[in-house]
Amino acid sequence: MEGWSGYEGLADAHYGRLRRLCALLLGDREEANEVVQEVFLKAWTLRNGAGAPNDWGAWLTRVAVNGCRDRRRVGWWPRFRRSDRVEDLPLRVQEPSPADLAIGAEIQRHIWEAFRALPTRQREVFVLRYVEDLPTAQVAATLGVSEGSVKRHLFRAIHRLRQTLGGRR
Amino acid sequence: MSRCLSEEALERAAAELADDNERAHLAMCVACAARRRRLTADLAQITLTLASAPVPRVDRRRAARRWAAIATASAIAAGTILWVEVVAWRVVHRMPDAAQAEQIAALADVSTTLFSLDGEPARVHEDDAVPALQVDDDDEGLDEDHAESGGAS
Repeated sequence: MEGWSGYEGLADAHYGRLRRLCALLLGDREEANEVVQEVFLKAWTLRNGAGAPNDWGAWLTRVAVNGCRDRRRVGWWPRFRRSDRVEDLPLRVQEPSPADLAIGAEIQRHIWEAFRALPTRQREVFVLRYVEDLPTAQVAATLGVSEGSVKRHLFRAIHRLRQTLGGRR
Repeated sequence: MSRCLSEEALERAAAELADDNERAHLAMCVACAARRRRLTADLAQITLTLASAPVPRVDRRRAARRWAAIATASAIAAGTILWVEVVAWRVVHRMPDAAQAEQIAALADVSTTLFSLDGEPARVHEDDAVPALQVDDDDEGLDEDHAESGGAS
């Protein structure tokens, strides 16, 4: 990554993706934004240093996942105290997403409920493997676990998600 | 031809955990291939929702209220148990004073026997003596006796 333009390119390529990833892992858009800001701050600090990674995409993903874990460890009090602020509310009616067009609202609600009921590790594995579309080996490297462990968590996640959805459809 | 795979085996295959036999069966069984397509469609639906639908807010206050209710109920339960143990239980199962005095006397005998050095019961010094217990029942009896004897004299 060379200079400001390189950093901007990195942000353009990964900012939205990481915000989505963190929002999925944390279930809170505001917290997700904070984590992504921290991730890019680290990237800016590292950009030309000796420790700069070769694969920025993988590095950003790994740092974002770790950042989400740290956030979860902080505890419930800061999140409980946070209120719904005016600036968080949408100013206009949002256009329907591709998912809105393809899948009914009720099914989407069940999917979110089932996804949020998954244990943290299963959620991480499922998001990285399917939403981020990373190969199993890269998921394992990002989470710092073996490929076998990733596959087992993925199987449990798939099983639980389908069980929950299958029972309601 | 081997038997068709269970739903769980299909899910294992989706997670790259299928063994050689299961993979071979999936490659040639039309029925299992159709079920696998259905599984893939389910996963695509989930992925599409997670990837593009707006992330719904978690109502953390509602969750916190639920926990607060559970904590309150637990505290009330603990308080009730404590009250039963400290107050109610002792009132119901109060040990009579006479029985307590007998027990202490019996324990004093046992301890005297155990700690005797020459086979005889140890001599009880005045300082070590178990203080005489005031037993209400006996006192009442003595008072009555005294009253009777006083009345006779």
